[in-house]
Amino acid sequence: MKRTKLYMDTAVSIQIVTGKSTSEEAVTQKMNQAFEAFQKVEQACSRFSPDSELMSVCQQVGVPVSVSPFLFEPLKFALEIAKWTDGIFDPTVGKIMEYHGFNRHYLTGQSIESPSAATVTYRDIILNEQDRTLCLQKPLVIDLGAVAKGFAIDLAAHELKEFEGFVVNAGGDLFAGGVNDGGEAWEIGIQHPERKEEMVSTVLLSNEAICTSGGYERKSAAEADVHHLIDPKTKRSPKEWVSSSVIAPFAMMADAFSTASFLLGAAEGQRLMEQAGLQGILITSDLQLVRVGGL
Amino acid sequence: MAQMNKKWVVLCSTAITAVYAAGYFTTETEAAMPPLPHHTQVSIPTNDISKNNNPSNVKSTYTNKHHISPKSLYKDGTYTGMGNNRRGSIEVSVTIKNDKITDVEVSHFAMHYSESDIAGLPSEVVQNQSEQVRNVSGATYSTRAFQDAVQNALSSAQNV
Repeated sequence: MKRTKLYMDTAVSIQIVTGKSTSEEAVTQKMNQAFEAFQKVEQACSRFSPDSELMSVCQQVGVPVSVSPFLFEPLKFALEIAKWTDGIFDPTVGKIMEYHGFNRHYLTGQSIESPSAATVTYRDIILNEQDRTLCLQKPLVIDLGAVAKGFAIDLAAHELKEFEGFVVNAGGDLFAGGVNDGGEAWEIGIQHPERKEEMVSTVLLSNEAICTSGGYERKSAAEADVHHLIDPKTKRSPKEWVSSSVIAPFAMMADAFSTASFLLGAAEGQRLMEQAGLQGILITSDLQLVRVGGL
Repeated sequence: MAQMNKKWVVLCSTAITAVYAAGYFTTETEAAMPPLPHHTQVSIPTNDISKNNNPSNVKSTYTNKHHISPKSLYKDGTYTGMGNNRRGSIEVSVTIKNDKITDVEVSHFAMHYSESDIAGLPSEVVQNQSEQVRNVSGATYSTRAFQDAVQNALSSAQNV
């Protein structure tokens, strides 16, 4: 069974390999719960909806605000990666993204313009683990583009784990659970960065996620040479990689590490993946494949 | 697979646990019960932004493309809409409740194109490769055609 819905500016497809004994209603119910994970994470983390939990929290500066785990957890993960990469990966990049034209809701066309201090970093966000609150030190815009989708994929996968096999595919970032129709690991293609209809490689996955960060899909409408992966320090898009695919046991991890390694550039990006013991395929700007972690 | 850095794995698995521990996610038994009021997926532009305001003088501003009226913009219900791109056409069903889009499902995918096109993978490539390769990483499908389809559905939902 396979269905597709739209969330987070992406077509989200869920396919389930069902055993003979599973009733259609049971599969449908689980499928709906898996989609609901995307709805909840989007409602919590969207930078484009004025009534998302994230945007309502961003209106309160200097006061600790209680937040739901749908926002707290991905933000906590993003801040850990920010620390780890010394701020090359930084979830406070939201205002810079707005400035580069990534400011429009994908369904309604509604654009957003948010207040922000001139210079902000991830250190301006204070999370309190005990009472699960968030406190902004300055007005800023949080962008969770590199973790929220991965988190939603992980929650959806958690709902589907009892099935023999399933794939939760959110625009090419995906978790492949169990086995396919033929009882084998899922074979996943990695897209060629320039020739969309070709694949550079395939990988076999079972109970693992793969996420790809590429500079080729979402270009800035406002400025040439800028795509949706922006270094908060230079305010530009790095050029050493054109694509970075990371395999990890969780989609949020694959998502964050593919973005972080893309932003860190050639030597550092590769080192980050090795440090974390991750496998992946990176593609240089002259289209050379670099395989990491013995893939 | 290489040994994982435990720190990140632990963070991810506790993140999932936190959602369930807080009771935010419906369990199977709860799901069988009448649904609670839904969170909405997106908001539709209205000129009533006062409910989003708070005493802080830090406010976001929102601009609307369309003319808006204070009464409800859309009738509740599920509406279908079509969108096209060079690969063919897409049909979506959009569910609206209290002027909010609560769900968008892709109900039909391009007549003579396979659904694997959604990952930018034409049928001939699929045939040349393994039959199993239906999922491609790194293939963010442009939502432009979907957006057109949604706008089309919204226009039939308009409360005139």
